[in-house]
Amino acid sequence: MDSAELAERLGYPTRAPISAWIAGRSEPRDEVKREIAVVFGNGTEAVSDRTGPIVSALPRRWHHRWAHPDGGREYGNAAAFAFDADLSVLAREATQNSLDERLDRATPVRVRYVLHELTGEHLDSFLDAMGWDELRPHYEAAAAGEQKVSRSLRAALRDLDEQRSLLLLRVEDHNAAGLTGPEYQDGRYAAVVRRQLDSHKQAGGRAGGSYGLGKATLWATSRLGLVVVNSTLSEPHEGHRERRLVARLDLPWHEVDGQAYAGPAWFGEPDPETAHEGVSRSWWADEDEARALHLERDGDAPGTSFLIVGAHDASGDAGTLQEMHDKLVRSLADGFWASMIGGRSAGPLLEASVTTLRNGRVVIAEEQVDAHAHHPALGRALQAYLDGETVDELTAGDQVVLAEVPLVVSPLKGHGRARDKGREHRAVLLLTAAADRDEKHSRVVCMRGNRMTITEQRPRELPLGTMPFQAVLLAGFATGREGDDVERAEAFLRASEPPEHDRWDRTEELTSLYERGALTRLKEFRSEIDKAVRNVVGRRAAARAGGPAVLRELLRLDAPGGAGGGGRRAQGFPVVRSVQARVEDGGAWNVTVGIRLPDGSDPWVLTPVAKFDVRSGGRPAVGWADLTASEACRVENGNLVVEPGVRNAVFTGVTDPATHPVQGTLARLVVDVQRARGGAV
Amino acid sequence: MKSVYPYPTLFGDIELDILSVTVDGAAEFPYSHVSRSERTVALHRSGRERWDYCTLRLRATLPDREIADGRWTDLACLATLTEKATNARTTTLLEASADGSWSGTIDLHRSRHVDRATLGLVVVATVDGVAGRVIGTTERDWYLDLKASTPVRQREIEIVEADFREGPDEWLRPYKDSPWIVETTGDVPTVHLNTGGVDGLVDLLGDSGGSPAERMLREMVAGQIAQDAWTAMFHTAISDLDVDEDGTPVMPTGWREAVLRMMLPDVLPGRQPVDALYDIAERRAKGFGWAELQTNIQYAAGKRSRITRKLTNAVRGLDVADRNGTR
Repeated sequence: MDSAELAERLGYPTRAPISAWIAGRSEPRDEVKREIAVVFGNGTEAVSDRTGPIVSALPRRWHHRWAHPDGGREYGNAAAFAFDADLSVLAREATQNSLDERLDRATPVRVRYVLHELTGEHLDSFLDAMGWDELRPHYEAAAAGEQKVSRSLRAALRDLDEQRSLLLLRVEDHNAAGLTGPEYQDGRYAAVVRRQLDSHKQAGGRAGGSYGLGKATLWATSRLGLVVVNSTLSEPHEGHRERRLVARLDLPWHEVDGQAYAGPAWFGEPDPETAHEGVSRSWWADEDEARALHLERDGDAPGTSFLIVGAHDASGDAGTLQEMHDKLVRSLADGFWASMIGGRSAGPLLEASVTTLRNGRVVIAEEQVDAHAHHPALGRALQAYLDGETVDELTAGDQVVLAEVPLVVSPLKGHGRARDKGREHRAVLLLTAAADRDEKHSRVVCMRGNRMTITEQRPRELPLGTMPFQAVLLAGFATGREGDDVERAEAFLRASEPPEHDRWDRTEELTSLYERGALTRLKEFRSEIDKAVRNVVGRRAAARAGGPAVLRELLRLDAPGGAGGGGRRAQGFPVVRSVQARVEDGGAWNVTVGIRLPDGSDPWVLTPVAKFDVRSGGRPAVGWADLTASEACRVENGNLVVEPGVRNAVFTGVTDPATHPVQGTLARLVVDVQRARGGAV
Repeated sequence: MKSVYPYPTLFGDIELDILSVTVDGAAEFPYSHVSRSERTVALHRSGRERWDYCTLRLRATLPDREIADGRWTDLACLATLTEKATNARTTTLLEASADGSWSGTIDLHRSRHVDRATLGLVVVATVDGVAGRVIGTTERDWYLDLKASTPVRQREIEIVEADFREGPDEWLRPYKDSPWIVETTGDVPTVHLNTGGVDGLVDLLGDSGGSPAERMLREMVAGQIAQDAWTAMFHTAISDLDVDEDGTPVMPTGWREAVLRMMLPDVLPGRQPVDALYDIAERRAKGFGWAELQTNIQYAAGKRSRITRKLTNAVRGLDVADRNGTR
């Protein structure tokens, strides 16, 4: 039933009053409400309290945007190409958006990633709910083209047909603002669903993003270009809060049945307003409908669920469910470890988890991302800062040093006085010893805003032999401080970031907004960071005189070829490479010894020697009861003969217990091969 | 040379970390004196010469899973602090903590050590009914250097400048005419440069740059001193060796080992170091072949001092100077 039919049943001449009610502009009189309830066959409570479940009677359908009248064509969404379609990029961008939209500042925003593979009837019923039959002709037409997007669509459709399986990735946040705002005018909803490059961030200048590009990664991750959205709103819209559903599809320009389409399409209910005739708009769904689309949300905390249909990792690193699951966990830990740490002065900003399902059954149980497990040393550094337990000088390996790094923020153009160098902001540098298993260390992780990692830099000119460390630089709001300088530094640094938000460098925004010298301020900031690190970890230059360098060079005890030469270098003499040993019941040692030999022109005549190892003094030798050649050698008169050119040989020996000074089980044994000493043994 | 045990031992890594150092129970030591990569602690600190003991806070990690699966019982983890020179040995038991690591403290008493103490970890357990068997040790021990102020593991040969004729060291007087001497009697071999010998020679050595002729002379002198030093060190290193029961010498420790491992492959090519040591010890004791060996030692010392390269450069430099007419 649509609004025109309802108007007719209620005896209205036009559908305008019904449209006004749906849009929340007017409220029907009580007797009209009763009549409506009769028409729909449910109670008046549901009609008067529209936050309760009401079944919208309008059918869901796809609306495809018509091609531009000027004949322009878009073969894809340019914003989606701004990033690599990589799961780690998706995790970074989507989670950053959730962080920026955190609602209750006292509790963390909770982010869940749910991978869900559908096959068989589960797949059929999902496609059915999505109106797949209606969509298919459009996909076929879009995939027929020769453009880049068409080729990948073709592969996606072929895989769907052949493998009959579809991977859904649901990205949901709780305690976030949700997609508030009207259908078409400014607001979060329109910024995400209707627009491109609209960064509708209202986080009081604390936001990480600023370009409005991040959301494109959601669509880029879908092989089908299709994302379904379910949002619980923080502020009611049209009288509703829960289950605002809509889907958006990004296709390239295509033609179906002689009609040309621009590409984007929306799935929703038809808009009853004449101004938007035929457009599909978001609808307020009931729980069953959300469940059918795999978009049900636990609890009523505001936030948004994005369902990426046909998710994949375009980098090719992660193919299986387990690999994708692990990659998401790792990406979340790498990108947001700092946001997940809470201390006495500030709680965590974020909690994240990853779950994997197949046809509704859990395959990999919900895994909470643990920042301390992935980044122990960095985690400790930030934890100490939040707990106020930093020190001025390291006296123990698990301590964290705090040093301040000045950043001079250039004045905005037209706001500074002459010769004004700008305001100084004191960024915070935290440094601690690296954990043993840290692969990357001795670098400074720089962050701002809600502890968003911008860049990692290796300090320059560190003295050799500096202890491996981990360091975090907090600038702007990341310091957790308040003040004018904090806000200015935050804005300044954000302006100096490219769309990837991965470095502080020259950008158009920086040069157009700030006075000359802004770039120099950034360079100075970088050298100040290096200097601060050097002050903390750098050892004073060795005070010893040490004598002339030219002589010291020649008298080094660790020169190549020395004791520390390592075992891989070819030795000029035979060496024992492996010993497998056991003590036999009679107390004799049975050893199988592998030896490695250098190249030589004469046969090697070697004497295997077994000795009991002692802590100090001479080692007692033990005699052999039996020597057997096993591989590439022969035994002659108790000596081992190896032909020239042989590089590896193996022999087996059994010691004579009668020559043991102590029981075989009570001693360590060493085996060596010596050059035979002409009858000495 | 590998040693094997008659019972199962741990295969996984055993790690030992020094978390902090406290001197005389009060003053915390700057952590920059602890180098985890070099596994060395420099305990000398200017401004505090006299101290009695320092306390090291330790943490160790053992291969937990292997221990849980293995048939070891009554497992204990001991930190051992030893120094060969003084025969000192201190041990403490580490306690297992909740997170699976082992921790504890050990005291280093100044009076028990002279130079450099070694800190290691020994894991002992009851195996096959025998108690207290070593089932694992740290691969790389920590060095606690009482004389160094920077934590460096590798020690260099000391080079000291002194006026032999008028300096405070009485024992250098007899060598007053020599431009340098090499002393290998101490803990660390020392090269003494005589500032009162050849006028300006020590300054020349200490400089960098200068005219081509100066550079040439500097290189040549350095090569010559180094050759003297390596020869002297080698002779000292092969004297007074411990021997096994069958007469095989035991590789010495410290700088002597480093010198031997570097030079033996050149002195007796194609021989195992221990084998070569045996040969040398025999020649030295019995006299035959001792003279021939001198040639090899001289060759090995020359190689370490890069004499050939220095001479090549010098001759080339002369040639260039000739052609430019700058000589």
